[in-house]
Amino acid sequence: MHNKQVVRQIKGIDETLNNYTEINEWRQDKIVRVMTDHQKLNELHDSIIENTVKVAMKKVQSELGNPPAPFAFFLMGSAGRFEQSVLSDQDHGIIYQSHDESCQSYFLTLGAEITNGLSETGYELCDGQVMASNPLWCKSIRQWEEQIVDWMEDSSWKSLRHFSTFFDSRVMFGETSFLTEIKNYAFMILNEQPRLYKRLVENVDFVKKGIGVFGQLLPEQYGEESGAIKLKQTTFFPYVNALRLLALKENILEPSTLKRFEQLPVSLQSFQSYEKDFRRLLDFRLQHRKHAQSYKDVHLIQINSLNREEKQTLKQLMKKGYKLFDETKTIIEKECSTW
Amino acid sequence: MELVLMDNLWVVIGTFLVLLMLGGFILLEAGSTRMKNAGHIAGKTIFTAGIGSLVFWAVGYGFIYGEGNWFIGLSNFFYGDTSFSGDGLSPAVDFMFQMMFALIALTIAFGGFAERAKLSAYVIFAVLFSALVYPVVAHWIWGGGWLADHGKQDFAGSTVVHLTGAMAALAATIILKPRIGKYNKDGSSNALAGHNQVYLALAVLLLWVGWFGFNGASTFGVGDAFFGFVILNTQLAAAAGAVAALFVAWIVTGKADVPTMLNGALAGLVAITASCGFVDPWAAVIIGLIGGIMVFYSMRFFEKMKIDDPIAALSVHGTVGIWGTISTGFFATESLSVGAEWGLPGLFYGGSLEQLGVQVLGVVSSGAYAFVVSFIILKVMDKVMGLRVSEEEEIVGLDLSEHGSYGYPENIPNPDEKQGA
Repeated sequence: MHNKQVVRQIKGIDETLNNYTEINEWRQDKIVRVMTDHQKLNELHDSIIENTVKVAMKKVQSELGNPPAPFAFFLMGSAGRFEQSVLSDQDHGIIYQSHDESCQSYFLTLGAEITNGLSETGYELCDGQVMASNPLWCKSIRQWEEQIVDWMEDSSWKSLRHFSTFFDSRVMFGETSFLTEIKNYAFMILNEQPRLYKRLVENVDFVKKGIGVFGQLLPEQYGEESGAIKLKQTTFFPYVNALRLLALKENILEPSTLKRFEQLPVSLQSFQSYEKDFRRLLDFRLQHRKHAQSYKDVHLIQINSLNREEKQTLKQLMKKGYKLFDETKTIIEKECSTW
Repeated sequence: MELVLMDNLWVVIGTFLVLLMLGGFILLEAGSTRMKNAGHIAGKTIFTAGIGSLVFWAVGYGFIYGEGNWFIGLSNFFYGDTSFSGDGLSPAVDFMFQMMFALIALTIAFGGFAERAKLSAYVIFAVLFSALVYPVVAHWIWGGGWLADHGKQDFAGSTVVHLTGAMAALAATIILKPRIGKYNKDGSSNALAGHNQVYLALAVLLLWVGWFGFNGASTFGVGDAFFGFVILNTQLAAAAGAVAALFVAWIVTGKADVPTMLNGALAGLVAITASCGFVDPWAAVIIGLIGGIMVFYSMRFFEKMKIDDPIAALSVHGTVGIWGTISTGFFATESLSVGAEWGLPGLFYGGSLEQLGVQVLGVVSSGAYAFVVSFIILKVMDKVMGLRVSEEEEIVGLDLSEHGSYGYPENIPNPDEKQGA
């Protein structure tokens, strides 16, 4: 709720933004002022996305009329978790309330327009096609529920990856209850089949090594990324994945890693100590990658650009992340075995 | 008489094993490079072995073992000695065994040509290397030349075969320049991964077995069963090299890199080649371990120096070949050196710096000769006929550009197929 209020304050200008070009210019102007402040930066992203969606809505409405059913447009990935950096790609979907299959074409058109709009306002297309323009991510409530069942039943690497992506989500526009309903449905299935927790752990268990046996940083060896640490894979993933697993286990709806920390039950208080590390990591990324030129660049840190102290910090953040993930794994595996 | 015949038989078995090492090199080079060059790489190994054999028969053997001077032998050309005195090796058996070493050196040299040299460059250089480069170094050390007079220890050819081949490869690599796509504009390098790690592993296994002939039959006899000791040292060094390279890669990069580990095994084999008849087994382990570690750092060094060596020939045969040769200067025991009337004991066995000095002298002079002469030959060839294929030919692959068909025809799209308007 707090976030939303702030977003409204920042916005206050949405009436003047009538097309994608104007939104993009507005973005360029504003973003330089907030690029090292995690909270304000993500509020700004929300604002840009919301305005873009509104313009896209208007466009589609003028061509195809009003939406044929109530719906929710939701964000996933780093936007869903309120953890975007200066540059980000787009991950989103749509849930609509209708049994009428013909609704889908309207919402797919809307999804395509939003995708196009976001790409014009500075968000790269998602390589994995996690976008509302893709029928996989644009469904009715019933279809979504069926999809969740399918993913869980299949419980393959790919389907669990899709489920995890889906779960880090929040509604940006429309009926928030639709997403809550589907997430609660997922909790129900998980509670009935606790073996799935174990599969979800296995799904994210492989972490790209960032530190060597002697405690040295392990940068990329080849290509234009050589000499750089992939911050997302080596450092962010353990925190994000651990808190997602805990959220699934504790039925926490909140997608943001920081909020998930806040909502952990008393029995998991010991995990709270990692929250400050994650905050430091968010700041570390913004401090070091504020001048990134592309989305790929956002997560690459050249180790020769770091001083001794910064290297130490990065190593500590990695080690803490690995520890957090290990502890999470232990807890989940232990509880699974008692179910 | 029976013993003499067994000696001959053992060396012939060694000959077969060393020839089979070419099969190892075919798999090693093909596996280390990309699919589009696989047929070419495999095929050229066979036909250059053909050229090398003919040249060795015509002049190579004579330059090494003929009557001559400190620099080169000058008789026994167009070899055809059918005699057998009943004592020692039959001349033909000895000739065949020696020929195999020349072919291995030639194949190592061509490691520096991989994925970008013209077929014609292979043909011409096979002739010139087999006539002018390898025989001279072999004469110096094995054929009674000036280094033999100093008591240089090189049991089976760390210097003669491996370093000589690697120095020619270095000259070729420098003149040919890196493959397209190996280095980026910002100076960083790309991993142009070889297309088949299974080939690499089989290559190492084949070479490893072949090395038992390479080193083991270099005893030239079975009389005191010394070959068993030589093979034991060979095995230990290869094992230590594989283990050391795997761990060093794992520790430094975080990845237990398979090609590095396999090159470590080869490094162990190269390192022990000079010293296998001079050192104790514990020293063979140390020599192999150091070889395995060196190959990892050497590969990184050449990569950084922008010397593109797809087969790691410079590191495995060059850097480690040097280490192998020098290692006897540290580890040669008294009984296996003075006792065998071959040089002096190493530094760790109460020897003076003398043997170490001889080894270093051998490495520097042989390495310099092989590099300089190969460089001149290749430079002249480059000016006269051009060494490297065109950019288009390199991109389409040497299978097609040099031979007209792909080694893996089903896996590569036909470039003649129309791609749009």
